[in-house]
Amino acid sequence: MKKEITFNLNNEETTVEVDPKWTLLYLLREVLNLTGTKEGCGYGECGACTVIIDGKAVNSCIFPVLEAEGKNIITIEGLAKDGQMHPLQKAFIEKGAVQCGFCTPGMIMSAKALLDEKKNPTDEDIKEAIEGNLCRCTGYVMIIDAIKSVAAGR
Amino acid sequence: MDDNLKIVGKRVVRSDSYAKVTGSALYTADLKLPGMLVAKVLRSPYPHAKIISIDVSGALKVPGVKAAVSGFDAYGVKWGVFRYTQDHAMLPTDKVRYIGEDVAAVAAVDEETALEGLSRIKVEYEPLDAVFDPVESMKDGAPQIHNEYKNNINIHVHIDVGEVDKAMAKAYLVREDTFKAAGEAYAMMEPYAVVASYANGYLDLWMPNAGPHVRAKALSNLLKIPLNRVRVRHINSGGAFGGRSEVAPGDLVASLLTIKSGRPVKLVLSREENATSSRQVHDIVATVKTGMKKDGTIVAKDYKVIYDGGAYSSTGPIATSIPFYVYEECYRFPNVRYNGYRVFTNKGIRGMYGCHGRAFLAGNEAQMDMMAKELGLDPVDVRLKNGLTAGEMTATKSKITSCGLKDTIIEASEKTNFKKRWKKKEKNRGIGMGCVAIMCGFPMGFRSGSSCYVKINDDGQVTLVTGLVDNGQGNESMVIQVASEVLGVPMEDINLVNADTEVTNLDPGAYSQAAAYVGANAVKAACENVRKRLISIASEKLGVPESDIDLKDRIAYSIKQPDKRMPISWIAREAFFRGEPIVATGSFFPDIDFEREWVTRPWGQMAGTFSFGTSVAEVEVDYETGKIIVPRFTAAHDCGRPINPMAVEGQMEGSIQQAGIATITEGNMWYRGFLLNPDLLEYKVPLACDMPEIDTIIVSSHDPKGPFGAKEGGLTVRMNAYSAIACAFTNATGILFEELPLTPDKVLNLLEKNKGVK
Repeated sequence: MKKEITFNLNNEETTVEVDPKWTLLYLLREVLNLTGTKEGCGYGECGACTVIIDGKAVNSCIFPVLEAEGKNIITIEGLAKDGQMHPLQKAFIEKGAVQCGFCTPGMIMSAKALLDEKKNPTDEDIKEAIEGNLCRCTGYVMIIDAIKSVAAGR
Repeated sequence: MDDNLKIVGKRVVRSDSYAKVTGSALYTADLKLPGMLVAKVLRSPYPHAKIISIDVSGALKVPGVKAAVSGFDAYGVKWGVFRYTQDHAMLPTDKVRYIGEDVAAVAAVDEETALEGLSRIKVEYEPLDAVFDPVESMKDGAPQIHNEYKNNINIHVHIDVGEVDKAMAKAYLVREDTFKAAGEAYAMMEPYAVVASYANGYLDLWMPNAGPHVRAKALSNLLKIPLNRVRVRHINSGGAFGGRSEVAPGDLVASLLTIKSGRPVKLVLSREENATSSRQVHDIVATVKTGMKKDGTIVAKDYKVIYDGGAYSSTGPIATSIPFYVYEECYRFPNVRYNGYRVFTNKGIRGMYGCHGRAFLAGNEAQMDMMAKELGLDPVDVRLKNGLTAGEMTATKSKITSCGLKDTIIEASEKTNFKKRWKKKEKNRGIGMGCVAIMCGFPMGFRSGSSCYVKINDDGQVTLVTGLVDNGQGNESMVIQVASEVLGVPMEDINLVNADTEVTNLDPGAYSQAAAYVGANAVKAACENVRKRLISIASEKLGVPESDIDLKDRIAYSIKQPDKRMPISWIAREAFFRGEPIVATGSFFPDIDFEREWVTRPWGQMAGTFSFGTSVAEVEVDYETGKIIVPRFTAAHDCGRPINPMAVEGQMEGSIQQAGIATITEGNMWYRGFLLNPDLLEYKVPLACDMPEIDTIIVSSHDPKGPFGAKEGGLTVRMNAYSAIACAFTNATGILFEELPLTPDKVLNLLEKNKGVK
């Protein structure tokens, strides 16, 4: 039995019919074609599917789709404004924080949620913010550098 | 041109990163084709069982199921890298050999329907005795996994150089130890996925792969379709690490389903399936016997290494050899005997890992430190004494052409104050060092070389066509950087068409560490041929000799009279007018001894060149809990001239995570053929908070034949980081490890067994 939900997605009011069995990730990827959000495990362990819901970084693969009703949701596709990349996106590029890139969208979303909440995060804050985002390529060094550089630059 | 480089050697932004930070980079699971079906695979619940029958007809009765297949729908061809290892049907019809093996599959309009279809497939099995331990598997009377292989010995690599027994008898100090290591999970972030689309006799495929041409060849064999009708296409890859090198069962499954249904098919493995049924790393047991002179010179090595090969041959002979070779390419062994046995067990299919053989490497290095201590020497001096230098031959007759091993040892040890800290160590703390060499490519017959095609378009923009593949390490950006250097155009002017088997020429792929040395060299050669043509026309048009012309910022100009200049786009148009557009090919084929064979003739030149590296780990051991902490890790690497130092450092840092920290956290756990930790909660991939402080050092060096002096970048750390941690543990506790990973339980056992050891 499908149900209609309305929420704000990347700054646009969005109304869609959903199957209550779906996860938010399924809706984003399979129905709305927002494939920037990745599925690495499907049960909230790897963080590749991280999106921001009402300011918090959330694993969309275990987020029931009906819960999205009335929420404010940002995905990686909603970060750039007027053709300008978000400072985190620029920093990830410039600091070499991207290798295979599969964890990158989720990693950037977790970093954004942190920076939106904390003006001057410590190294420990950054590590904590991305401890739910696994990366197999980088050793996290350049990722942490990139996040720090954005925090320092504001 | 080398001395005055404009962009090679600079920390440049990778060409692929914009798409990856904006979410627009496509990976296989992101693809959607019109009418595409969803595939699901039925897997074996038994570690070892005879297949009596498979009946897929029930699945076909489910509305929405468009195709259902088993091995009986395939062409009876078995896959193996070598003629003598062709034992993997991918969809078996005789028996299943591991839990999770692909048995049958359906394609349906959606996932739910596909799962419903799977539930209607009937398979009748007759369970057989199984064997899970390679040592047990080698014994007489063990269950036979393949009829052709006596005692389940898949591969035996036997190397015997010099007179080992004689040298051992004369050695001042001899020591023999046995080490074990659990295989690791590749745990690439992208679970395996494949999209296959068959129409009009042509098959198109997308999947994360580390060698599109070898993949296409395998599928061409398995499906009995000519190579030019099996097209493996470019797609981003979410990590490979050795686990995406060989053809995957899912490739055959998706291909059969699209051929049967006439519609595109997408198969995406779950995280668990990726662990149980894509590929796994070999567990190993290594016995290492070493004879030394009083001054620390190694006089003899005698090895017996057993590799748990899982159910099929896979890259068998190569996997059985590589751990030994990366070690013999690093140190001088006048007398050495190596007996490597790859043994079948009823476990998942195996592959090469960026660093498989950790028990072998770490065991050798930690044992060397114990012997050094006994002789009153220190690890730095012993490594310098035994390390190979440029111009020397390895034990199996590979010439080392360029070698920065000594520099990496010295720089890493000076940076960490190694000698002093090793000798006068603080309580419960230790420091350790690991060295290794990496072959940049290995014998792959005519597939060992690479070719590139370049064209200059009429607006002066460049198109580069190469078989080279990128699994995230930055190979694509690397060759664009090389082309930019040679052609004098910015990186953004260059469009790369790569890793598509129908439009590119053969390339060895990214799994033999050949991308920089072989792939980038071919790109450089092709661009140099284009450059010659550009300069020839510019010389004629500008009225200056060719030797006076350089290319920079999209302009050809006279070096002596810089006002004489013309845009490269004008040259391109002039060439079109002449009916001779500016196009060129270039190839590179490494100096490899192709008589060399992994089993029958294990000697001769292995690769065109070798990279070198030294890692230093510092550890703290908690005697109460058994937990090891790694506060700091230093890695020094001779990668020749780094084309993009930022990319090389990224590889080194990732390797410290994937091999260094893995020494204390990572290992597959088994119970009677069940993988107990197939997911990411139980399998401990290191997190940001687990990482040490890191120092990466790229030592300056120049390979005579590498593109701009470059060699492989990053893999040495992936191989020697284990050794550094194991050696640091030995330094901290005075105890040699017995088994990896060094998780708290194993550490506590070791401490208990060795009470009183200093």
